[in-house]
Amino acid sequence: MRAYITQIRTNLRLTMRDRTVLFFNYMFPLLFFFIFGFLMHAEQGGAIVQIVNMVLVLGILGSGFFGAGMRTVMDREANILRRFKVAPISAGPILVSQLVVGLVHFLPVTVLVLVLAHVVYGMPPLEHPLSLFVFVLIGVLAFRAMGGIIGAVANSMQESQIIIQLLYFPMLFLGGATFPIAVMPNWLQIVAQFIPSTYLSTGITAILQGHETIWDNLAPAGALLLTAAVGTFLALKLFRWEKEEKMRTTAKLWVLAVLTPFLLMGAWQAYSKDNVVKGKMLAREMSRTRTLLIRDARLFLGDGNVIEQGAVLVKDGKIAEIYTGAAPDAKTLKAEALDAAGKTLMPGLIDVHVHLGSPGGFYTSAEDYEMPAKAFPREMAAYLYSGVTAVKSAGDGLDEILKVREMEGSGEKLGSELFVVGPLFTAPGGHGTEYAKNIPEIARGGFNAQFLRLPKTPEEAKQMVDELAKRHVDGIKTILEAGSPGYPFVRMDPALVKAIAEEAHKFKLPVVCHTGNVRDVEDAVNAGVDGIEHGSMNDVIPEALFARMKQAGITFDPTLDVVEAFTMLAQGKFEMLDRSLVQQVAPKKLLESTKKFLQSPDGEKMRSGLGKYPVSMAICDQNLLAAMRAGVTLVTGTDSGNPTLFHGPGIHRELQLWIEAGVPASVALQAATYNGAQLLRASDRMGLIKKGYEANLLLVDGNPLKDISVTERISMVMLKGERVDRSELFDQQ
Amino acid sequence: MRGIDFEVAPGEVFGLLGPNGAGKTTTVEILEGLRPRTSGDVKVLGRDPAIEVKALKDRIGVCLQSTNLPDKITVRESLALFQSFYSRSTDIDKLIDRLQLGEKRNAYYQTLSGGQKQRVALALALVNDPQLVFLDEPTTGLDPQVRLEIHSLISELRDAKRTILITTHYIEEAERLCDRVAIVDQGKIIALGTPREIQARTLGTSRVEIHTAQPMPLDVPNFEEAEKFTISDDRKVLNVYSPRPARTLPDLVKWIDQNGIDLEDIHLKRPTLEDVFIELTGKRLRD
Repeated sequence: MRAYITQIRTNLRLTMRDRTVLFFNYMFPLLFFFIFGFLMHAEQGGAIVQIVNMVLVLGILGSGFFGAGMRTVMDREANILRRFKVAPISAGPILVSQLVVGLVHFLPVTVLVLVLAHVVYGMPPLEHPLSLFVFVLIGVLAFRAMGGIIGAVANSMQESQIIIQLLYFPMLFLGGATFPIAVMPNWLQIVAQFIPSTYLSTGITAILQGHETIWDNLAPAGALLLTAAVGTFLALKLFRWEKEEKMRTTAKLWVLAVLTPFLLMGAWQAYSKDNVVKGKMLAREMSRTRTLLIRDARLFLGDGNVIEQGAVLVKDGKIAEIYTGAAPDAKTLKAEALDAAGKTLMPGLIDVHVHLGSPGGFYTSAEDYEMPAKAFPREMAAYLYSGVTAVKSAGDGLDEILKVREMEGSGEKLGSELFVVGPLFTAPGGHGTEYAKNIPEIARGGFNAQFLRLPKTPEEAKQMVDELAKRHVDGIKTILEAGSPGYPFVRMDPALVKAIAEEAHKFKLPVVCHTGNVRDVEDAVNAGVDGIEHGSMNDVIPEALFARMKQAGITFDPTLDVVEAFTMLAQGKFEMLDRSLVQQVAPKKLLESTKKFLQSPDGEKMRSGLGKYPVSMAICDQNLLAAMRAGVTLVTGTDSGNPTLFHGPGIHRELQLWIEAGVPASVALQAATYNGAQLLRASDRMGLIKKGYEANLLLVDGNPLKDISVTERISMVMLKGERVDRSELFDQQ
Repeated sequence: MRGIDFEVAPGEVFGLLGPNGAGKTTTVEILEGLRPRTSGDVKVLGRDPAIEVKALKDRIGVCLQSTNLPDKITVRESLALFQSFYSRSTDIDKLIDRLQLGEKRNAYYQTLSGGQKQRVALALALVNDPQLVFLDEPTTGLDPQVRLEIHSLISELRDAKRTILITTHYIEEAERLCDRVAIVDQGKIIALGTPREIQARTLGTSRVEIHTAQPMPLDVPNFEEAEKFTISDDRKVLNVYSPRPARTLPDLVKWIDQNGIDLEDIHLKRPTLEDVFIELTGKRLRD
């Protein structure tokens, strides 16, 4: 014991006298910290986590490879270890004292860097400091063990340097320490999973961001510990006191033995890709925490109020402050400034009625239709591109839509936030069931299970709601629709809707109802739903019914977009395909094939089929105005996915149609922001420009209150604090 | 090693003398427990170094050839560090003074001269008050002045009745410092005993060399105890070989006197261990 203590004390003194040790342990990380802090504007948030991670990983790699790796070789080459050989001690105290001294030098720097990150750059205090400490400690142990094994097998300084460089550089550049793994090409991201520092980096970043603890990183921590154990054991076994004792060249393979846990981890990750996804989420998180001051803009707050000249400070993904008039200096706020004179800032738009399962157009061959895993994220990107920051899928296959919601929610994919209802509640032969006709018989069962719920009794309906609630859907969608004489549907028993609504409300799930005529609306209102979708496209809804809706707090979503699309298609007009945003977001191939299809005999047939379902824009306008006058909470849905309603930009047309119907822009924009958030039961965090709310923002050129088409002139889209790089949205891997 | 057999008595300074590669270091390393032996019996301080390595290392002091210490360790720190490895200890400061390192007590190792470094190495070998000290080539690579310093230090240890085993390829070191010497060559002991015994045991006789002013007569007689003689071409230098030069010398001087020749110079050359080595192996110790 005395030997250990004296050895540690002496080693500490020696390292304190060694300028290179002091430089690389203290000066170097701090230099790095401040240089990158300056270059990356760490005071503006976001980058600071990356910089702290960089400094820590760099320190751990340095301590491991250059500290533990070279030290033994140097002492052996200098005949220092020879002197120890004749004393009654083993390699144990020598290696242990080096490790302890390495830690003693490293951990204060860790603390110092964390404190500086907080004080100088405003990094939030650690939520799990102990987790970080333990994880960093494990990292130091593992990488010092790797260094130790290099020191054990290298026959000369030169050899050790070669081996160290071979390991150090990939670990530094591919492991996510210098730049996030998420920005690398996909194949390289997989390669990175074989590199130990990748796990170090993702683990440290996740813990720094406060989302994870050491328990969420058990696998990487385990692998690092295993490496530490194997490496330390081998370093002791292979320890050599004299330079004359050479190692066989094949002994260098021991280095690989130490890395074996990570070969296994890499192989597993190549299959599961969990850590690749984690890397993307961490990078997303970083870009969501930048501080931005959007100043001199007109602010449409979402609830109808307007600040003619104001500024919004976005920090840590939230709206941190709203200023009326001139904003304080961006530097004092530690924010990047975005000048928005002449522009209008509003909450991100919300489309409460889409179907991601259909692309909005037609391909000429069945193989061209993309699988949901590919198509859905692209569609969600199209919404975000168009300034829509939240979307409600009003009926899609359950498993697939939940998967996409997860992808968008975690930040793995960048797109609008998705709310889902999953399957449609309807009657056998009711609206919704007709889609299955296009599905091959063999796949129809599976499709129906995903897409439809056909309860026969209230009990069955409730059970179905329970099951969906367990899957954490965001709402329930029911259908009351008898169709039209040329296009009849079996209508669900309103008693079932009532049972569904009662059950859903137990889980605080909003229930919306697709309605076809006044009777449907009335039954739905009686059943206690929370929102009416469509209302009626051919029936005038009585004001008294709207009054009841107002009283019951039921929202109304007129979906004028789909009304217009059906009308135009029936009339053989296709100019909606030529609209600018549509051209920007829809896949080229889809646009072209849709044009071709619509003019083909099949397209003709489809269009004449639509014609059988009578719709009247005039009646729809009338209903919308009546609802507005009655004070009903209006929301905007587009029913995108229907023919020629490509995903993304529909809401802009919807707003224009509302203005054409006679709705004031302020009312329409509130419907598309705050009211939408209310229906999504998310108005406590989105839909408003309000302090503490998520920074989901849309900046447009001009004043949409005067000219609604301005909403299409998008200057910036922000989702949860991330300034969306719109041009990159469709290139996501 | 090809079979080596010797004993070192307590309080004795024992030397292993031999050329580089003779097997001295190997022998010593086996004794120190640093190297396994393939056969034979070894007992050091009553212990088998192959089995009780740690216990043995604890009781011996070793000064290895060409070892180093970290650059920035001070003399005192290095002694304190190494002392912490042992169960017995001595007063470090006294040790430092004894080895004349007092002024350098707090100096960094890198600032020390070669001789000072070697004295630190000696101090390290004594830091555990060892029962047996191994000095492996203690003066190799040092300049003559420093070598003398080290020799006097070892002499002091000898006077203090330490048991010491020295390996060296310096003849004068073995002659000056060792109570007994084993001459080693090619893994074997070829001579063993006190330096005097070894010198005496060999055929090697002393040589009396005289220089005269005038040529000596050719009829050189058989001097007392003399074995043979050689005379130079100008007959002014005569070498007489004798195992007992003390007897031969008066006879020789008398003869010179009788012949009325002036004696200019006279040398008595005793056989060195080097001579012994050459005689036994046919080669020189050092090239």
